[in-house]
Amino acid sequence: MISDRTKRNLKRTLESSLLAKVGAAILIVMFLAALFAPVVAPHNPTQQVLEKKNQPPVGMNKSFTTSEFVVNGTETERVTNTTYKQGTWDRPLGADPLGRGIFSRLLYGARTSLLVGIIGSGLGAAIGAVVGLFSGYHGGKVDDLLMRSVDVALALPGLVLAITVIGIVGPLAITVPDPFVLFGLAPEMPPTFTIPGTVTIVIAIVSWEEFARLARGEGLSIRETDYIKAARSIGVSDTSIIRTHMIPNAITPILILWTLGIGRAILLESTLSFLGFSGTTLSWGYDIAVGREYLATSWWVATMPGIAIMLTVIGTNLVGDWLRDALDPNLDVESL
Amino acid sequence: MPTGKFVLKRFGHGIAVIWAAVTVVFTLRFLTPGDPVTALVPFDATQETRQQIIQELNLNEPVYVQYVDYLSQLVHFDLGYSYLSGIPVSVRIFNRIGPTVELGIAAIVIAIALSIPLGVLSALRRNSPIDYGATIFSLAGISIPNFWLGIMLILVFAVHYDLLPTSGRPVGVVAALELLLVEFDPSGLMTWLSHILLPAVTLGTYMTAMITRLTRSELLDELGKAYVGVMEANGLPQTLITFKHVLRNSLIPVITVIGLQMGHLINGAVVVEEVFAWPGVGRLLINSINVRDWPMVQGVLIFVVIGWVTINTVVDLTYAVIDPRITIEE
Repeated sequence: MISDRTKRNLKRTLESSLLAKVGAAILIVMFLAALFAPVVAPHNPTQQVLEKKNQPPVGMNKSFTTSEFVVNGTETERVTNTTYKQGTWDRPLGADPLGRGIFSRLLYGARTSLLVGIIGSGLGAAIGAVVGLFSGYHGGKVDDLLMRSVDVALALPGLVLAITVIGIVGPLAITVPDPFVLFGLAPEMPPTFTIPGTVTIVIAIVSWEEFARLARGEGLSIRETDYIKAARSIGVSDTSIIRTHMIPNAITPILILWTLGIGRAILLESTLSFLGFSGTTLSWGYDIAVGREYLATSWWVATMPGIAIMLTVIGTNLVGDWLRDALDPNLDVESL
Repeated sequence: MPTGKFVLKRFGHGIAVIWAAVTVVFTLRFLTPGDPVTALVPFDATQETRQQIIQELNLNEPVYVQYVDYLSQLVHFDLGYSYLSGIPVSVRIFNRIGPTVELGIAAIVIAIALSIPLGVLSALRRNSPIDYGATIFSLAGISIPNFWLGIMLILVFAVHYDLLPTSGRPVGVVAALELLLVEFDPSGLMTWLSHILLPAVTLGTYMTAMITRLTRSELLDELGKAYVGVMEANGLPQTLITFKHVLRNSLIPVITVIGLQMGHLINGAVVVEEVFAWPGVGRLLINSINVRDWPMVQGVLIFVVIGWVTINTVVDLTYAVIDPRITIEE
């Protein structure tokens, strides 16, 4: 499916660009982390160990001072307790306020982010590509109608719409068994994994318009080529022209936009789970919301997941730029 | 200058989009699984409130009657009453507009003030440490989740160094300026500045990063054009060429993107307001969704759509003034 020339272009651009290498490396690490989370995680990410609550990362010490009033006969006395906590290797990045290991939670959070990002954005790409190609291929009234609906969709601010839809419909959680636990490879880990369904669908709803515009442009230009005209003149059906000629031709720019869209989808997912709309607690955004309440004593709880989000999104942006430079240097993503 | 026909056409388009978007908002109430009333009222709503919403939304009537009724209320600027407070929705939204507009403008000012000089510098000193720094900054800026950036800024500047307040908006800019001008007391303005600085930086970062990137690439494109070489050959001073001719030409697409990004600030503001407890429209939306105050949610959505379309229309008309070549495009 991938031609030799494409492979050569990809390889050449990768070799000449440091940023492309960095991006690819980040994404590979994140994919592996997400895939093998149950085996790599030192702990069950949902297991609460209260003695370890707010434990600092490895190599750090932290004292926590708590004070309470104790009634002693007729006097009220203020008793101050200081406890020392030291980072240990079983919770390398520290622990959250319920004693759950942050490193383990990050690994599981990578699953949520990548799954929702890839599926949500991919769904948007698929819808947009079908609508756009159809619209560009047919032209006329159909095209007008479809492109007007794209205009309207673009007139609704994405995040605001996303919050409202989830607020009304409620979070739909799809629970799937974790194969590693199912086959006994990681018995202490959570036996199931939750995909936030509403969030995924909402991401598709707010992202399809860009793909539709892009695909329409491609459809319009391919339609006028001689070989499509020839195909039509010998009576090849519209569906078969779209399937066998237009999709393969339009796939490259859509693929590039999809890669860049994954980053934006991950940002949207983390925002929604930060605001409490996602339906799963194994998510980077959710962890940041938890850590936000403990900034004064335990900065690491909110900091670590944010770094994970930023790195992943940087990775998708760099890989997207690489694909664009290698496959379609004239593609202007910003103006869509 | 844009012709009257162009302006009218653009306005007509804007109104059509608002109508369509308002219709989408109308259909949202049918998304609710099960009894729509259950999802649209607060959890502890009384039977009376339920009856009230059935009446208000005409849920007993056929859909087309509901729809016509809804549109006629909107045309009369009647957004209904909040279930929670009983205050008219329009009044509550009106009180929240000021803070959001303040925040948005502050973010744009910061973004433009930082990004254009940074982008220009980075293009003129290509492959220098400044250029690499700017590239890394803009990559990070478009990849960072803004709610997390806000929390990190709070962590550093409010919690750790105790330089700025963590959140809130004790005084608005109008009141602060009044205090300064009438009583010559700058304390109000200082308070306002100290409270708006972190949220505005948070909200403006994405825009700053994007415009830096764009300014750099547009300027490099423009510097490579033939007329620059002609001017150099004629002995014009480099500063004159760069600032009078090249920069001007390369800023047109930059202004386009600033305009496009202004709409996106509305999205960002929702989250930033939540992080910094900034009492704007975005925070009102989240609160209303959390307590299921449907008239408020609907009102904010409609308000945001109108704001968004208005910004885009004004931006479009502005281009026509800046760059006459785009004026009449059929």
